[in-house]
Amino acid sequence: MTDILQILILGLALGGVIALMGSGLSLVFGVMRIVNLAHPSLIICGAYVSYWAFKLWGLDPIVTLPIAALIMAAIGVLLYRLMFESQAKSARYSEMTVLLTFALAMIVEGFLGAAFTNTQRVTSPDYATDAFFIGSLFIPKGQLYAGCVSLAIIGALTLFLNYSRLGYAIRATTQNREAAELLGVNVNLISMIAFAIGIGLAGAAGSLVSFVFSFFPAKQWEWIAMLMSVVVLGGMGSVLGTVVAALLLSVIAAFVGAWVGATWSTMTFFLALFVILLIRPQGLFGEKPELA
Amino acid sequence: MSELLQVTNITAGYGDGPAILDGARLTVEPGKVHCIIGPNGAGKSTLLKAICGMLTIRKGDVVFKGERLNGLRPDQILRKGICFVPQERALFPKMTVRENLRMGGYVLSDTKLRDRRIDEILERFPVLRERADQHAGTMSGGQQQTLAMARTLIVKPDIVMLDEPSLGLAPKVVQEMFDIMKMMSQEGVTVLLVEQNALMGLKNSDWGVVLDLGRTLFEGPAEAVLADPRIQELYLGGRKVA
Repeated sequence: MTDILQILILGLALGGVIALMGSGLSLVFGVMRIVNLAHPSLIICGAYVSYWAFKLWGLDPIVTLPIAALIMAAIGVLLYRLMFESQAKSARYSEMTVLLTFALAMIVEGFLGAAFTNTQRVTSPDYATDAFFIGSLFIPKGQLYAGCVSLAIIGALTLFLNYSRLGYAIRATTQNREAAELLGVNVNLISMIAFAIGIGLAGAAGSLVSFVFSFFPAKQWEWIAMLMSVVVLGGMGSVLGTVVAALLLSVIAAFVGAWVGATWSTMTFFLALFVILLIRPQGLFGEKPELA
Repeated sequence: MSELLQVTNITAGYGDGPAILDGARLTVEPGKVHCIIGPNGAGKSTLLKAICGMLTIRKGDVVFKGERLNGLRPDQILRKGICFVPQERALFPKMTVRENLRMGGYVLSDTKLRDRRIDEILERFPVLRERADQHAGTMSGGQQQTLAMARTLIVKPDIVMLDEPSLGLAPKVVQEMFDIMKMMSQEGVTVLLVEQNALMGLKNSDWGVVLDLGRTLFEGPAEAVLADPRIQELYLGGRKVA
């Protein structure tokens, strides 16, 4: 019983971080139909920001999280203007973004590799290797803090999307782009803001990831599959779905890791992706695809 | 005659594609219901899309209250006072009726005014009031169309343009939609609608505009258009009639 509870706690804490990693991806797809394969590489950029801030100046990654988020959001604005704005009216927009962001992922990886080498890095504030003990249960502080901060950020994002004027405009653009435009929403500007928020979330996730996982530029390939399965299970574009899917898959992966073997743990996500696409391609919270 | 909107000989099409409209013209007078009719592919919907800024106007002019609208974005044209409800009704299916109305007032910076107008609309349309917290996507076609039309009233527009509001609705419900349009025009909102069913559209309108192959054939008072032999020819392929 204690074992099960222990695995559940570890799974949920990691799930929180994965939820934050996926939420930006989901938001960007939901609003702009951009399948952002470069999302994990941008998370890694955020991780480097917090890593170097800690290494050089001893700044806590949770403290530098807003800075990483802002830097990445600014990069998001640049990327949007450079890569996506002019393509917005293309009939094959989504397909094109897959290729564009794939190229971006390679470029970012190459750039990071050249700048920081492919050495495994991890930010090591004191709490990253510490834990709380409750009876025979142990809760790693790093994962707990990262999970809680992640869920708090997602909570704030949800409040923002549901209650602010900008949030209304973003949701409206997600649900019906043309209608939003006809009601006076400047959909190009909203798309750019939503993209910047999405990439900002990648930066924030990066700060937390930097002390939860070890990372290096090529780590993105493992994460893209993991995040894709989370976003697909959640229903492409649904932030709530992403959170539920991340927690669910992460807990399952934790159990698989404990009972079947650690090597099989990451496989959980890939297997889940196949199974979801076969059985429920619209995911948990997504809409059924319309018949063309 | 004091026209509110004047469209003169415009040419427009989708993207780089061929011109769908070529020589379309239109006169809109304040406070009346105007109906654009014409066979399939005449460019009726395209004309509304060109007016509201969804399509680039290649030639000709759209002049509203003495001001040229060519080249403005849809959100800018909305702020001038022209609201467009496209064929698909343009609702947000996963937002509630109230949230949809709130989006209808997106351009209003005074949120108190917006909320007051939302309350007024819910007061006037009991069918919406009863469903205020229901997702728009779960309502019937008639209810959705009612919401789409009512939503335009939040910004108190000068002109409301409706693209086939009767599409997919039962005949009884269609009449309700025309009644709402009549009510809107009585309150001073000018209505410009596209209607596939020419007879019904004209019967419920003051002014008729006949479009064919992207050109305006003629326009005039609805009864006169209805009685015009050219209509018979257009719809019934008519030398037999003539």
